[in-house]
Amino acid sequence: MTVTRLQNSGGPGPDEYGPLDHLLEDDPADLYENAPMGYLSTLPDGRIVKVNRTFCDWIGRPADEVLGVRFQELLSMGGRVYYETHLVPLLRMQGAVQEIALDLVRADGTPLACLANAVEIRDDDDAPLLMRATVFEATARRRYERGMLAAQRAAEESELRSLTLQMVVSDLAAAISVEDVASVIVERSREALQARGAALVLVETDPHDPEAAPALQPVRSDGMPDNLLKELRDAAGSQLAVELARGVRSIVLDDRLRSGQPALSAAMAAARLTELVVVPVSADGRRLGVLVLALGDGGDDLIDLEPPDEAARLTTADINLLWTIGRQAGQALERARLHEETARQAERASFLLEAARLLAEAADVAETVDRLAGLVVSRLADVCVVDLDSDEGLVRPAVRHRDPRRAHLAEDLRAHHLPRRSTAHPSVRALRGGSTEWIRTVDDEFLREVAVDDAHLEVMRALDLTAVVAVPLTAEGRQLGVLTIAADAQRGPFTVADVEVAQQLALQLGLVVARAQRFDLAVRTSHALQANLLPPSPPALEGLTIAVRYLAATYGVDVGGDFYDVVQLPGAEVGLAVGDVVGHDITAAATMGQLRSVYRALLADGPAPGAVIERLQAGWPLLSLRRMATALFASLDPVSGRLRIASAGHPPPVLLRGGRAEFLPARPSRMLGAPPSHAIEWNGVLPRGASLILFTDGLVESRSADIDEGFDLLLAAATSAGTSDPDALCDHLLSELTGAHRADDIALLVLTRL
Amino acid sequence: MMFAHGFGCDQEMWRLVVPAFETDHRIVLFDHVGAGNSDLGAYDHATYNSLHGYAADVVEIVRTLGLTDVVFVGHSVSAMIGVLALQAAPELFGGLVMIGPSPRYVDDGDYVGGFSRTDIVGLLDALDANHLGWSAQMAPVIMGTPDRPELTAELTNSFCRTDPDITRHFARVTFLSDNRADLAGVRVPTLVLQCSEDVIAPEAVGRYVHEHIPGSVFTQLAATGHCPHLSAPEETAAAIRAFLPG
Repeated sequence: MTVTRLQNSGGPGPDEYGPLDHLLEDDPADLYENAPMGYLSTLPDGRIVKVNRTFCDWIGRPADEVLGVRFQELLSMGGRVYYETHLVPLLRMQGAVQEIALDLVRADGTPLACLANAVEIRDDDDAPLLMRATVFEATARRRYERGMLAAQRAAEESELRSLTLQMVVSDLAAAISVEDVASVIVERSREALQARGAALVLVETDPHDPEAAPALQPVRSDGMPDNLLKELRDAAGSQLAVELARGVRSIVLDDRLRSGQPALSAAMAAARLTELVVVPVSADGRRLGVLVLALGDGGDDLIDLEPPDEAARLTTADINLLWTIGRQAGQALERARLHEETARQAERASFLLEAARLLAEAADVAETVDRLAGLVVSRLADVCVVDLDSDEGLVRPAVRHRDPRRAHLAEDLRAHHLPRRSTAHPSVRALRGGSTEWIRTVDDEFLREVAVDDAHLEVMRALDLTAVVAVPLTAEGRQLGVLTIAADAQRGPFTVADVEVAQQLALQLGLVVARAQRFDLAVRTSHALQANLLPPSPPALEGLTIAVRYLAATYGVDVGGDFYDVVQLPGAEVGLAVGDVVGHDITAAATMGQLRSVYRALLADGPAPGAVIERLQAGWPLLSLRRMATALFASLDPVSGRLRIASAGHPPPVLLRGGRAEFLPARPSRMLGAPPSHAIEWNGVLPRGASLILFTDGLVESRSADIDEGFDLLLAAATSAGTSDPDALCDHLLSELTGAHRADDIALLVLTRL
Repeated sequence: MMFAHGFGCDQEMWRLVVPAFETDHRIVLFDHVGAGNSDLGAYDHATYNSLHGYAADVVEIVRTLGLTDVVFVGHSVSAMIGVLALQAAPELFGGLVMIGPSPRYVDDGDYVGGFSRTDIVGLLDALDANHLGWSAQMAPVIMGTPDRPELTAELTNSFCRTDPDITRHFARVTFLSDNRADLAGVRVPTLVLQCSEDVIAPEAVGRYVHEHIPGSVFTQLAATGHCPHLSAPEETAAAIRAFLPG
């Protein structure tokens, strides 16, 4: 180890400086005392044994107060530690130190920034004897150095921020989905601020209700305590929009926060957080969400150096960095959303197309609704329920669950019909209000509120629902029912786009239900009307056996105005009639009913068939019957077999006798409703054992569009029947002449004289 | 015997004491990560955010070298690192020598550690004030470039130099730790060596350590300051020798 000692280096001789000679020849003692530097010598333990006046003047103490004091005791506390941990070892190890920065403490307690050089004087055994030190005042230099150090640290931090920003930008360029963007932003910003946790929370505004408080959706959260985001949202509440507009905002855990937001403060304290930083995420002035950073006390077990209330963690540069990250995130989110929206639109279009195809298929309402619900749970939601309004209240034709293992829960839902008066249930509210109900967060309080009973509550709890959307099925201004979809915890919440798809589905479904309901109503009405207008069954008559059939058309509301009638006339005769009112609708059926009543009324006078036609034709305008009709009237004496027939534009009856069938040549007169004319009667005898077949044109037009061909088929069928039993004949004729589909009604009356 | 240096310099600190034990002990000297000739690249803020990180290194060294019955001699903060190492692997150690220990430097209620929070801030300032000599160019020199001795020769104060950020962090961890509760768990023969007039670890603190380690021996040294192994190596070595069995 080399010991460096200051030595007189010689230099120019005194002669050369003329008038300065006496100064340069100054007393060495004076030079020591008044040198422009502090000078002192200490024993190895630091005790000062010699000191010059300059040093004493600097620290404001007389020499006799300084001598005997240990040098380190004149230093600031930080200086003492540095002296012990650095200066002493260095001196011992290398014999000298240079330019050690130390703070002396003056008599008045103020610090004096100094630089010290020191050498250790040793004995022959290398043991320390003395330390000699020179001390220079370095106030200005220290200030300058501090400035340098601060500038250096600022530069390093600035570089780090630039690096962070560069990485954010390059990472974002590769981010395709919203999740990608969120992950980049959360990780990078957390790293940059050495935050304990970070989360990206996006705002979802309901486009149908812009006034509503926006929903907050955490997209990505790392290292954040579970309840913190909720507490923050509760604390921000309706103020959120304002908060977002304020720019980067710092929420410090201090007394004000503790008294104003006790719940949030407690959540922060429990997680040992000292500060939350809220950074707006926006694009083109639109506020998309916030980045939340949670700052803590370092997460270590070290003693806090400063009370947390006073910790000012964020610098302006940090704030600027976060602000920039927020805007970068906003733009990247917009890009990602556009990308996702394109994909989603394609998906949505294909889904709606599939739904439209399904709805267009002819099937009854219950089946259609059920199949649609199946489609919904395969693509859009976890649970789908359709309620339809009916005379019996709300009925549930469809309940579906995405997961077959949980389908039984959905089936349990089917049993719970909603009371129409309920005010809380979103489905009922949607039905009554005629607008979409979107429940973004389902909690137990909500479930208790909407449950019909305890069992219903248990089912809904078991379904683990997180969000519900109810859309009314509306057509022609009426609410016909409601489509309700729900998401469970696995699937996550609905987006605005999901709700729009549900609304489009509901629109289509509403039209289908309306059409089906209208159709159902008309069919039921016509059939009921017709059934009421037709006589239930022919009376039993002496000497005759009779069978009748009435078959409605198989398609739609095309119930016709076909009728038959068998009545015991005053005297021995029996009155027979078949008719066909033009048209296949309710009006036709109603006209037929009226016609039959008027016909019955006419029979009181016992008119001949021809007279019946003439009277009906004459009275037609008075009756205000709105449709024309064909009809065939006959009277038969069962005892003598005398038969009289008159036709108003109606096909002639068939006589079946001894296995031979023929049309009776009853010449038709004008249709009923046509101007009155003379009705021609056919007179003959129906032999014993012979059968008379009266029918409407539906029978002969069912298989063949050509009526003559139809007539031939009828004769052939009657001939091949091989029976004279009216019931057997009816069945045979219908099976031979009609198929599964009938375009027109058929009335058939077969009578056999015994 | 394993010697661990404290906050400030490196294993060179022991060179005046070690010869006294070389003849009858295997000697292990090391630099804490971040100090002396250690690999600064291995320094990780999170790992060394508590003294446990340093204690884990001690245990790893002992295990790697296959040592048992180790007498751990720790100076200053390393005395407490030794306590934590013993806690982690008690089976490896046979004795503990604590030179100028302090389980907590910052005063806390009735406990007097000798420092206020303001003092610690002042210390960090003092470290900052002595940082300017450091630069990236010097780093390789300090980390050891035997092929360029001329550089080393030019340097002053080089022996206590290391990366200023690491020094600052080590200072924080050293002076802001509180390991008082760990003392009671020491189960090996322990010697507390207390210096005179030690501003960093005052006598009251040394007594506190002694009282809280069951069966420990307290030896008051005449040596002043915080580094008796430098200022009074003979006295220090003798005190340790007296403590060692046989």
